[in-house]
Amino acid sequence: MEFRLEGNHKIMKEDTVILGVIGSDCHAVGNKILERVFAEAGFHVVNLGIMVSQQEFIDAAIETNAKAILISSLYGQGELDCDGMRSKCIEMGLDDILLYVGGNLVIGKTDFKIVEQKFLNMGYDRVFKPEDDLQQAVQLLKKDITQKKVNALQAGQDERRTKAS
Amino acid sequence: MLTKTQKIELSDFHEQRQEVLGGWPTGREVDLDHAIEYQKALPDAKRFSLAMKTAEQQGSLLLQPRAGVALVPEHIALLKFLEKHCDLLPTTIDAYTRQNQYQEAEKGIAKSSGSGQSFLNGFPAVNHGLAACREVVESVSKPLQVRHGTPDARLLAEITLAAGFTAYEGGGISYNIPYTKKVPLEKSIRDWQYVDRLIGVYEEAGVTINREPFGPLSGTLVPPFISHTVGIIEGLLALEQGVRSITLGYGQLGNLIQDVAAIRSLKELANEYFQKHGYTDYELSTVLHQWMGGFPEKETKAYSVITWGGAAAVFSGATKVIIKTPHEAMGIPTKEANAQGLESTRQIANMLKDQYLPESEELKTEIELIKQEVRTVMDKVLELGAGDLTAGAVRAFEAGVIDIPFSASIYNKGKLLSVRDNHGAIRIFEKGSVPMADSVYAFHADKLSERAAIEGREPCFQMVVDDIYAISKGCLVGRPR
Ligand code: B12
Repeated sequence: MEFRLEGNHKIMKEDTVILGVIGSDCHAVGNKILERVFAEAGFHVVNLGIMVSQQEFIDAAIETNAKAILISSLYGQGELDCDGMRSKCIEMGLDDILLYVGGNLVIGKTDFKIVEQKFLNMGYDRVFKPEDDLQQAVQLLKKDITQKKVNALQAGQDERRTKAS
Repeated sequence: MLTKTQKIELSDFHEQRQEVLGGWPTGREVDLDHAIEYQKALPDAKRFSLAMKTAEQQGSLLLQPRAGVALVPEHIALLKFLEKHCDLLPTTIDAYTRQNQYQEAEKGIAKSSGSGQSFLNGFPAVNHGLAACREVVESVSKPLQVRHGTPDARLLAEITLAAGFTAYEGGGISYNIPYTKKVPLEKSIRDWQYVDRLIGVYEEAGVTINREPFGPLSGTLVPPFISHTVGIIEGLLALEQGVRSITLGYGQLGNLIQDVAAIRSLKELANEYFQKHGYTDYELSTVLHQWMGGFPEKETKAYSVITWGGAAAVFSGATKVIIKTPHEAMGIPTKEANAQGLESTRQIANMLKDQYLPESEELKTEIELIKQEVRTVMDKVLELGAGDLTAGAVRAFEAGVIDIPFSASIYNKGKLLSVRDNHGAIRIFEKGSVPMADSVYAFHADKLSERAAIEGREPCFQMVVDDIYAISKGCLVGRPR
């Protein structure tokens, strides 16, 4: 893995992402590395560390107007801890937030396709396994955020157009 | 108020005990007198301390896996399968129970029931209660240990020891700093004094329970002298409460000379400190944990890491080895994968047991280095505590005198940085506030400049990151790519 600074560093500077390890999970090593990687890629990273509840993630996202929540789960109980996050976000008014999740998400060695589907069904936008390239994750996040901005802009224009007509 | 390092008065213990047993309904099932009778009736073959003592005397190596699932019948089936391959059995406790979140554990049990799989990463012993835990004990024929990561493990201890488990892992430091975010160290040390006092009560009644401080800590580039210091402090705290059978641990780092030096120095230092503090009647043994950091994803590669850990255990003279499995990087192992880890370890252990590592200058240097490092830190801890070990330990963490790399706790400074030297031994790159003799720090610096010169880069945080990934990516030293 590398920690290159990305070219479009400045454009992304404003975008805040929330980072943390969910539930009763104590695995701290990957979290420290993820903080570095996303910060060096130009994001403003609010790292909540280990043992973070769904509510704490959401509160931090609201407070900082974050574009995405990056959730880790390593210890196997991710399925119990991550379920319901999407509906809770919507309930709290975070209709448009990106939800990424990664790590050793379920108990036991499991075909990643199955794991991915499970978490997509829970409403996560992207699901990562431990070996995934982090630079690729950074690029995907930039792309997804940009897409969300374009969508919002378009929605805004549509709204104005409807009002004008 | 600082917790004093002294034996808890029996009346205080029993007063606290009522509160502890009220923590979850199953606590009320425990009756200490019955528990002692039950323990006394166990056959010798299930007595953990006896197995450790015998192996230590004979110089043989015992193998133990980690294992635990949500439901009782499945857990029993798992242990019965594993006992054919190992010498000592575990019961690994789930992560909700470790945080005393018994309500959450209940949900995990419910979700697992009838699903054909475990949604918990261990066995929720408190929720299952005394009778179920006894069923586990009675279904197997080998000694059983509780393996967990619980800062407040009082209720878990009450239930599992009453159920006939004969060994208990953990400690007030080693089950706090790597395992939690904001439990004050003083509280976890106090709660572990209770556990040790409980074991002291069993001991006084003629039942020896083995105690094992958790050696590997964060499992991530922890220098031997840091984990040794923690182990010795926890050993002393346990002895104070009347514990007699103690196993001190260490997580394999990967450089054979350093690993052998670590186990040897651990044993010598523990004897030195235990005796200096007036203890003579104890049984000391050691455990080496196969590599505790990130594993390679491919099973064939994982086997190499596993057997290299087996080799380190044999050559170092450890009494016990905790094994890893070919599934380590991916998830909690199936019973088959767990048995494969045991089998491959057994093969290497058998092939090496008649061989020995010749004494050498390098080995002698490493042993002396670790001893000097531990003594420097221990002196400071005792000085900070003005003779009181608990106060010393708490203040040492506050001041960064003891500093565990990559820990989770806010009560750990996290200023110490360690990295591999050119031969893969762990050295200190930034000592933070950890006291070290100038000559010792210079030795570390020399070792690191050797690596730096070869790699054409200064020791830096990137080097640490490269080392964190190295073994999972197929090497020991994280060379630049
Ligand atoms: C070190 C370690 C520990 C240390 C942790 C110390 C600490 N404070 O951090 C200790 C020894 C304390 C520990 C304890 C436990 N552990 Co542990 N541990 C590991 C181990 C060996 C390495 C983890 C690590 O640091 N890797 C290095 C970092 C850099 O990688 P990483 O954590 O995977 O994170 C990277 C990726 O996953 C990815 N990623 C993660 N999240 C996200 C999110 C996004 C959005 C993206 C893009 C990427 C991403 O990027 C990260 C950086 O590269 C792994 C197994 C392995 N991987 O080899 C087991 C492992 C994670 N542990 C495991 C378990 C179960 C536990 C315990 C519950 C004990 C037990 N029952 O065995 C306890 C946890 C108790 C608790 N409350 O959490 C299991 C989880 C099983 C599962 N999912 O099925 C594993 C997989 C081992 C196993 N096979 O059984 N552990």
